[in-house]
Amino acid sequence: MTGLNRRTLLSAAAAAPVVLRHARGETPIKIGMPLALTGPSGEIGQQMRHGAEFWLKEVNAAGGLLGRQVALQIEDTTGDPATCVRKAQEVVERDGCKLLFGMVLSSEALAVVPKLAEWNAIFMSSDNGDGRLTGSSFVPNFFRANISGPMETRVISLWLREGQMKKFFALGMDYAWGHNSIGVFKDEVTKAGKTFLGDVYSPIGTKDFSTYITKIRQSGADGCFLVLQGDDNAAFLSQAHEYRLSDRVQLITSIVDLNSIHAVGDAAIGLAGSTRYVATIDNPANKAFVADWQKQFNALPDVFEGEQYQACKMLQAGIEAAKSIDAEKLRPALEVATIDSIKGKIAMRACDHQAVQGGYIVKVKKQDGAKYPVPEIIATFPGDKVTPACRQMTFES
Amino acid sequence: MRMLLAVALLLALLPFGLPPYAMTLLTEALIMGLFAMSLDLMVGYARLISFGHAAAYGLGAYTCGNILLHTDIPLPFAVLLAGLFSGIVAIGVAWVCTQATGVSFSMLTLAFAQLLYAVAFKWTPVTGASDGLAGIPRSPGPFGVTWFATKSGFYYLTMACLIGGFLFARALVRSPFGAVLRGIRENEAKTLSLGYNTRLYKIAVVAASYMLGGLAGALYAPFAGFANTELLFWLLSGQVLIMVIVGGTGTLVGPILGAVFFLFVQQQLSTYTDSWALFFGVIFIGFVLFAPEGILGLARRWTRAH
Repeated sequence: MTGLNRRTLLSAAAAAPVVLRHARGETPIKIGMPLALTGPSGEIGQQMRHGAEFWLKEVNAAGGLLGRQVALQIEDTTGDPATCVRKAQEVVERDGCKLLFGMVLSSEALAVVPKLAEWNAIFMSSDNGDGRLTGSSFVPNFFRANISGPMETRVISLWLREGQMKKFFALGMDYAWGHNSIGVFKDEVTKAGKTFLGDVYSPIGTKDFSTYITKIRQSGADGCFLVLQGDDNAAFLSQAHEYRLSDRVQLITSIVDLNSIHAVGDAAIGLAGSTRYVATIDNPANKAFVADWQKQFNALPDVFEGEQYQACKMLQAGIEAAKSIDAEKLRPALEVATIDSIKGKIAMRACDHQAVQGGYIVKVKKQDGAKYPVPEIIATFPGDKVTPACRQMTFES
Repeated sequence: MRMLLAVALLLALLPFGLPPYAMTLLTEALIMGLFAMSLDLMVGYARLISFGHAAAYGLGAYTCGNILLHTDIPLPFAVLLAGLFSGIVAIGVAWVCTQATGVSFSMLTLAFAQLLYAVAFKWTPVTGASDGLAGIPRSPGPFGVTWFATKSGFYYLTMACLIGGFLFARALVRSPFGAVLRGIRENEAKTLSLGYNTRLYKIAVVAASYMLGGLAGALYAPFAGFANTELLFWLLSGQVLIMVIVGGTGTLVGPILGAVFFLFVQQQLSTYTDSWALFFGVIFIGFVLFAPEGILGLARRWTRAH
């Protein structure tokens, strides 16, 4: 089914109770969602869109929010921060959205958040990793339901402390998230008494990783920390497989996602790392979510689909508690919001608007009968160990 | 003159009754208009075709962004300073680029813009690299006036810059200096043989053009609150050249209309299709083939016929 068809279907579904709504004189709650749907990060944008549309269908079928139907206003940013600011301005000023989702890249989010006060709009992040968003660049109308870059790095370093590897190298995408995550990683491994050998950064949209792979090999590291996503991640993994890089170096990635695994197939076997969400998490909410998802799409929900669903639930909890979508009323409600999420109990924190949550380490393994290798949870770390102190990006112990 | 006053009055009255989103679009259109007009000084009057005018815009934007982020200089002064800085840098650029003529000149301007683009990607402390400069404030002042930070205040600041820039450019092209420029455009060898140091004139007009282009970029930074390498990319250089040609070269007013037209069509088409640029390409070809004198030329032809 193409995106267009799905959108038509959704608007048809939303239009069904139109008589009822008009009788009560209510307009739908519009949520703006500027997303990179094309470009190197387009795959992540598409996942976020799926996650949000899944939630939208569910919530509208149950009668909407505050008795109003919910609608999404989706715009393509191509992953460029300048375009993202423009599209966000459009959905707020032209379409009257007071709530925002979306913004795939942290650089896009960092460009947009200074404008939130002027727009009087709340932005609920489902994906932005840069620690500064809940640190030095914090604004009151920004909330992060997802696990941040420093947090996923922290999960990895907690896991590495227990392991045998001693020397590390790092490769990241050359923008906010990459630099931020590797900075935290360096800090963490050094504190754990291990050696950090060096780091390299590849521009967004890199297709040929051979020079980077050579640098990783020459560094003599036991493990290489990767901060890559989307097409870049898939390109790196398949080339690393050709060079048999994983024979010498344990590849540790900050996000293990199904999309990259499907793109590279068996090249992903042996890959270890943190993941923001994985379909095999064992709790009732997640089992129900995965079952519904499979019924609709005949596939497992991927990382950003799960994370987006969690962010939607967080916003929903806030709106239902505040009984309003007005920023002044919604903000205090969101600051104390707690949900029984697909990742377990998640609580928003008032001091920096970061949702406190645990992290998972997975290893990609071959499974009999499955078409693709699958990520298996090998370690879990609780929220209080993973979440940094308020507005901090580094960790004390 | 009466025409100019009427337009100024119309622009000044527009904010009353316009919804916020229309105000945003209008402000952006005026900024783009100033940018396109600045390029017309080179293209329309001295036949200096620049493929790298985004350099002026980006220089202005990054300079203004840094001034506003790191100093307390009030918004209007920051904008003017950034424009001036762009003009001063242009003297050096023009000194190199005017070594060549014709296509080679165009290629050198492109090369310089791409050089700046590459530098902006690496010079993280000043440009923020691929993340760009975010949260550029509209600093208050002078004298504690905070009005320029508001939506309508910023619009009037943009309007003032456009009208001021237009008056400056018009005075320039109507002066004896402008006559020499037109001489260069028609026949540079002849102008040279009349005793004019044509290269100096060319350097001067490039500097003036970059200064106004930089002023436009300087307005964009606090307008969007954001600046990144896209503002230095060749795509923008190409777009502004299209605005000038579609609007009508050598008219100053035409390119402003061209910019407004470009943004309007982009806005309308992009709501229907992602490949709006394809359709704009057809429009552009149509103008080049059937109305080489641009929108302004069409309007003049129409008024003469009626």
